[in-house]
Amino acid sequence: MTAPAIESDPGHAFSRYLDCLAEADEYAAIEVALGLLDAGVPAERVLLDLVAPAQVEVGERWARNEWSVAQEHAATHISERVVAAIAGRANPRPTRGRVVVACMDGEWHALPPRLVAEVLRLRGWQVTFLGASVPVAHLVSYLHRHDAHAVALACALPMRLPHAHRMIEACRRSDVPVVVGGRGFGEDGRWARRLGVAWAPDAPTAADLVADERTLRRLPPAQPSHLAGDEYGGLVKRRGELIDSALAELRDRVPGMSAYTGAQLDSTVSDLGYIVDFLAAALYVDDASLFTEFVRWLVEILTSRGVPAGAVGTTLSHYRRALHDFPRAGRFLAAGEALVAEVGHAGR
Amino acid sequence: MTAADARGWDPGDGRISTPSAARAPAWAADVPTRSASGLPPLAPDRGQAAPDWSEVVEHFREGLIVCDADGVVRHLSAVAERLLPEVIPDVPLVNAGVRELTAPDAPAEFSHRDRRLRVRRVPLSAGRSCRYVEDVTGSITRSDALLAERARSAFLAVVGEKLGNPLHPDRAAAAVVRLAVPTLAEVSVLVLAPRAGRARWWRAARSQDETPIVDSGVLAAADLPAAIEEGLTGAEPHTVDWLVEQAVDAGWLPGLPAQATSARVVPLPGHDSPVGVLLVARRATRCYDEADIDLVRAFAARAGAALTTAVLYRDQAEVADTLQASLLPVEPAEAAGVQWGTAYRPAQAGVRIGGDFYGSHRLADGGSVFFLGDVSGKGVEAAVFTGQLRQCLQALHRVESHPVRLLRLLNDALLETTQAHGQGRFATIVLGVVRPHRDGGLTLTMAGGGHLPPLVLRSGGEVEPVGLSGMLIGVVPDPRIGEVIVRLAPGETCLLYSDGVTEARGGRRGDELFGSERLVTALAGCHRMPAPALAERVEQVTCDWLGHGDHDDIAVLALRATGTGARGSRHLHAVPHLPDQREHQE
Repeated sequence: MTAPAIESDPGHAFSRYLDCLAEADEYAAIEVALGLLDAGVPAERVLLDLVAPAQVEVGERWARNEWSVAQEHAATHISERVVAAIAGRANPRPTRGRVVVACMDGEWHALPPRLVAEVLRLRGWQVTFLGASVPVAHLVSYLHRHDAHAVALACALPMRLPHAHRMIEACRRSDVPVVVGGRGFGEDGRWARRLGVAWAPDAPTAADLVADERTLRRLPPAQPSHLAGDEYGGLVKRRGELIDSALAELRDRVPGMSAYTGAQLDSTVSDLGYIVDFLAAALYVDDASLFTEFVRWLVEILTSRGVPAGAVGTTLSHYRRALHDFPRAGRFLAAGEALVAEVGHAGR
Repeated sequence: MTAADARGWDPGDGRISTPSAARAPAWAADVPTRSASGLPPLAPDRGQAAPDWSEVVEHFREGLIVCDADGVVRHLSAVAERLLPEVIPDVPLVNAGVRELTAPDAPAEFSHRDRRLRVRRVPLSAGRSCRYVEDVTGSITRSDALLAERARSAFLAVVGEKLGNPLHPDRAAAAVVRLAVPTLAEVSVLVLAPRAGRARWWRAARSQDETPIVDSGVLAAADLPAAIEEGLTGAEPHTVDWLVEQAVDAGWLPGLPAQATSARVVPLPGHDSPVGVLLVARRATRCYDEADIDLVRAFAARAGAALTTAVLYRDQAEVADTLQASLLPVEPAEAAGVQWGTAYRPAQAGVRIGGDFYGSHRLADGGSVFFLGDVSGKGVEAAVFTGQLRQCLQALHRVESHPVRLLRLLNDALLETTQAHGQGRFATIVLGVVRPHRDGGLTLTMAGGGHLPPLVLRSGGEVEPVGLSGMLIGVVPDPRIGEVIVRLAPGETCLLYSDGVTEARGGRRGDELFGSERLVTALAGCHRMPAPALAERVEQVTCDWLGHGDHDDIAVLALRATGTGARGSRHLHAVPHLPDQREHQE
């Protein structure tokens, strides 16, 4: 350690740690974290004040197109190794029941739940971390075989909420209380409330909730039929057809598309799919803001990658015309179009 | 006509004080004027069959009490006389002493001499009034019974739903006691049949809010209350006199007064003997009657079935877990200069094993044998075959470490096994030997047995397919086996994967193959990634492509040349793998 005074504060170590992630230097990153532990910083603080904010920064750099997906993956991997190193050093003795932590099916952002898992472990729980994208069947069979006190489920993307809801219900049927977390449930957890499940904004809150089983059991489960209505199911059925027609329209409107590589075409198709999936999720929880928040984010991402906001607007109005018999979806899409127009003006 | 119909026929709303101005005169015109001497005949133009109205009135289900303007009873029908013997004709109604008949604020419905009566007061002309008295005892009892029966069915339906899933036995036990409160008991205790001289119990107690408080404990079998012991033999204890005292002695009934508590014990049916015993207790003000006991028994039957299923499931899951653990791929052994990365996602998520496999074994000379492959078929049978295959390799690599010759030996061994069992199973495999160099690079000598050729990520970012072909293993006695030697500079990676990656069906319509071109594109620019991150990325892009569609087994094995330097060895000690970290890949 070269600068012990600085190393005892996670805030100061933060920029050094980010440099290590940028360099993909696993060993130096571990050194920074363990140095904090050596200086007497509690493991929980290192996890939450160093690793967690660094991961947020990594995500933002990717969103600003400063980092490639590969860099983001490598940085995340290093942070995971750092978490393992911190956990190995702290090595707490389990004194409480078993808690299962997992990512929702299809959800690959494993670091945030991993941090929750380690905080729970530090607080004496016996934690099983099932990792990224855990299939429902796997989770349920695990719960049937082990007497879990509670399940903590993470969801980073709101478009997975319908699947998340299925997973939450599966846990409930196994009579295990559920806590959820992650931005997928909204900044303030409002979609978790809509789905009738306990939500924690951060790891310490999650730990407090897990310790309060009676509160978890008191929550009445939501009725999916009330939430979904008929538009959600209809939209999911028409997903492929919608993407096809939107792609055809884009081909007509954007002359450059004929020169797209296969990979560019794939990513266009998956963006078109995301729009449908987020729209479906917004219908599922019946909240237009889920969709408009996504549109705002998508426009930012695409603009930073040189795609004009107008392309998003074209697709939204195409979907709105195609979905003329879906009144709620139509309203959400119109709100998205208004937002695109507003952002487009601001950008000029 | 049932009582319910009669109630439906009631023209008023049952309240004495709400005479309808429109309706009252209609009656007033006919009924009361000739109170004692009968009713007037109908107008002559209505025909010959006019009934005698007093005769008709006597057969009303409702009793009639007609009073004059001074409140003196002028007419009393037989029904009213039977229901209200206190009322005497030609005496003021107040003298009968039945307050509900005269007080203006009295409820329309009241209990009188073990019956439930409903009175409707209608004003007549000239200040007179009529009280219609209905006996609703039967209909009230019936609707109470119906409501109670509905509540019982609803309760049992909820119980069936909650206990319908196979749960972990401890979960099931906790759920049983929790569900019994508050419908069946204020305190419910479940005692499981003792195992090895010890009996575990769970208790739920009613609390201020909706959620009961659940706790549990262990009791030596010898210390079990006699009534519980009797229940565990399958008998429902008939004498329940000492039951409360026994439960209090066991410390199970805090907050319930011992003198004023009612308790029952019911066995939970198991396969041959009861799986446990349920004790329910509540204040004696709500004593357990025969219907309550029936409900407790019905609950116990469902609870017993759930617990039996849970125990059966646990026992079988233990066996399955042990077998699965032996069939899952083992993480590659640490090897100098090699960073391993793996991903494994079987087709059947619930089973967690499949026909893909990978692994490595260290060689005495510092190198390692590594392999990744795929056997024909899916699911458990395929997994069992991968187990045989891995065991073969584990033994054979000790006698032969040259990849091509090792693969031939494996082919012979598998051929013999499959012919002996008449299985006709075969495998595709890439098998190699990796040896580190002084410069931090690696040399990979690989043999191909009909598997997808590996990809190499060069330090410049290019993704190169390795030219490796060959025939399936376990089909013919002398297969053609390809061989290739690949050099990896420090930081370069070789990636082996199964066809679950390239044959993943997804895309717009869910039917398009992922294909090797997309895989190569996904790997472009990933040459700086650590091997585990790279393997996970392949898994992720494949699963993203699939959406939520079905897929084949997916397996990935990446080898990265870590280069020289002291850090590699130091890091191995600094970062232990947590036991739970990869538990999902068990």
